[in-house]
Amino acid sequence: MAGRGMNDKKQRSWWVVPASKVDAIARAATSGADVIVLDLVEFVRDEQKSAARESLRVAIDAVRAGGAQVYVQIDPRQHEDDLRAGVWPGLNGIVVSRAESAGQIEGICKYLFLLEKERDIPAGSTNLVPALETARGNQDAYDIAAASPRVRALTLGRADLVMDLRPEPSGEIHLMPYLMQRLVIIARALDVTPLGAWWRAPDRGLLATADNTLQAAKRGRAAGFKGALCLRADQIEPLNKMYA
Amino acid sequence: MAQQKVRRSGLTMPIVTPRFVDQAWRRGCDFVTLDLEDSVPQNRKEYARTLVKDAIPKVTRAGTEAFVRINHEHMAADTEAAVWPGLSRIKYPKTETADEVRALDALITRYEKERGIPHGTVEIDCGIETALGVTNVYDIAAASLRIKEFGATNGGYDMSRDLGVEMFVPFDQFVYLRGESELAVRALGLGVRAAPFVANTSGSVSDGNRARRQAEAALACGLRVGGGGLNPAVVESHNVGYTPSAEDVRDAHWVLEQFDRLVAAGETWMEVEGRVIDRYEAQRARDTLAWAQACEERNREKAEAVAKVRTQIAAQQ
Repeated sequence: MAGRGMNDKKQRSWWVVPASKVDAIARAATSGADVIVLDLVEFVRDEQKSAARESLRVAIDAVRAGGAQVYVQIDPRQHEDDLRAGVWPGLNGIVVSRAESAGQIEGICKYLFLLEKERDIPAGSTNLVPALETARGNQDAYDIAAASPRVRALTLGRADLVMDLRPEPSGEIHLMPYLMQRLVIIARALDVTPLGAWWRAPDRGLLATADNTLQAAKRGRAAGFKGALCLRADQIEPLNKMYA
Repeated sequence: MAQQKVRRSGLTMPIVTPRFVDQAWRRGCDFVTLDLEDSVPQNRKEYARTLVKDAIPKVTRAGTEAFVRINHEHMAADTEAAVWPGLSRIKYPKTETADEVRALDALITRYEKERGIPHGTVEIDCGIETALGVTNVYDIAAASLRIKEFGATNGGYDMSRDLGVEMFVPFDQFVYLRGESELAVRALGLGVRAAPFVANTSGSVSDGNRARRQAEAALACGLRVGGGGLNPAVVESHNVGYTPSAEDVRDAHWVLEQFDRLVAAGETWMEVEGRVIDRYEAQRARDTLAWAQACEERNREKAEAVAKVRTQIAAQQ
């Protein structure tokens, strides 16, 4: 058995692109990223959200045509609207931002089964990647990851920002070494893929250079991560290189 | 940021040493911990208990909060001796189970009621100093609504002994246990008492410069709850180190100005002078300003209380 981890296809680099930015999506298709994450949460303002949702079906096709896998990042507080907008044939999976509980994952799975049936998608084929961005989500990480066989990977997402974790004098982000090791252990225990890179101050995903991304990925790989999310096009190549 | 009490600096002192307790009001601490535990010899425990009721007002008259550290093995007798008007918190060392915390909560509730103290006034602060305590840390932190802040700084002498590790080494012995504590505290939404790792290879507890660096590093991490100290030399370092500097305040205003521009532009983030401006940075800036204001109010409150005491003393002479 190949296990639940995602070793079947390359998933070294996950480029997060705002679903509201048409030009970014056009570039994403040929960016070289293994996975494109169409984001409805972090980089889409509330007033842009409904337009962003409406654009998803076309965007998924556009990205697929370029050869990358496609995920949609949803807000679990609006999961029905976000899933209805994003679950179409060709979608590989969902990134659940601020994942907090097993019950929340179960609710999302229930709705996914409905949509999969309605839209002629094989039942259970839509993967889930919970982003453990809150303290509660990290505390309950094991139960979240074990909540469904759809869960194929775990990431800390933007935990440093959501949990307000800032740099220590050593350059480590406060609490992150612990959270990263904890995530890797839980992911390995449940045979799902740990995603992440070991960022240090003063880097932040939005500003990290290609060189610094390479270093973060090198440390990340050594720490057990098998691929990472990124926010800029020039971060894709270093991730592809390190997580090869 | 939830409304957080300003507890930057503190001193722990043996309650049986009158010159410490009598002079505590002059130290400028946000809190004083009157110790019934490690600094009191076994043969003076009973005597020590008789001193608490009068010691509390001596400490609090300068605007300082009074905490009492009890003995793990004398919970009932010590709590009966400690819960008097003016007490803010019981510090319970070597906590190992949630049941212990619930027992302590019930005792405090009883004495609050008997002694005319509003229910819920006295907080519980659990010390985690053993391997068993670490194992149960989430249940312990969740065991009582009286727990408002929780120490992820735990480590220290007792913990090192229980774990069989050396304490004064140039690397962090407590990554795992600190992480376990801090994650539990954050998941429960309690105040985080944590400190970034700054190596102490000398074992000194009176190095004011080191204390200042430690406090500034903590504040830069967004951590604002001080653990206190043992030597008066560190009090001012903690008061200053945990208070945002004028530069911090200016920077927070600058971030918020940039954020207004971002909102007007209809974007979710932008880069200004090599820095990211987004809603997360804006929230950090708002937190800094709120904390700066809380520190300023606390400083004023303490200064007024001290001035009053000085006037009283002058009038008596």
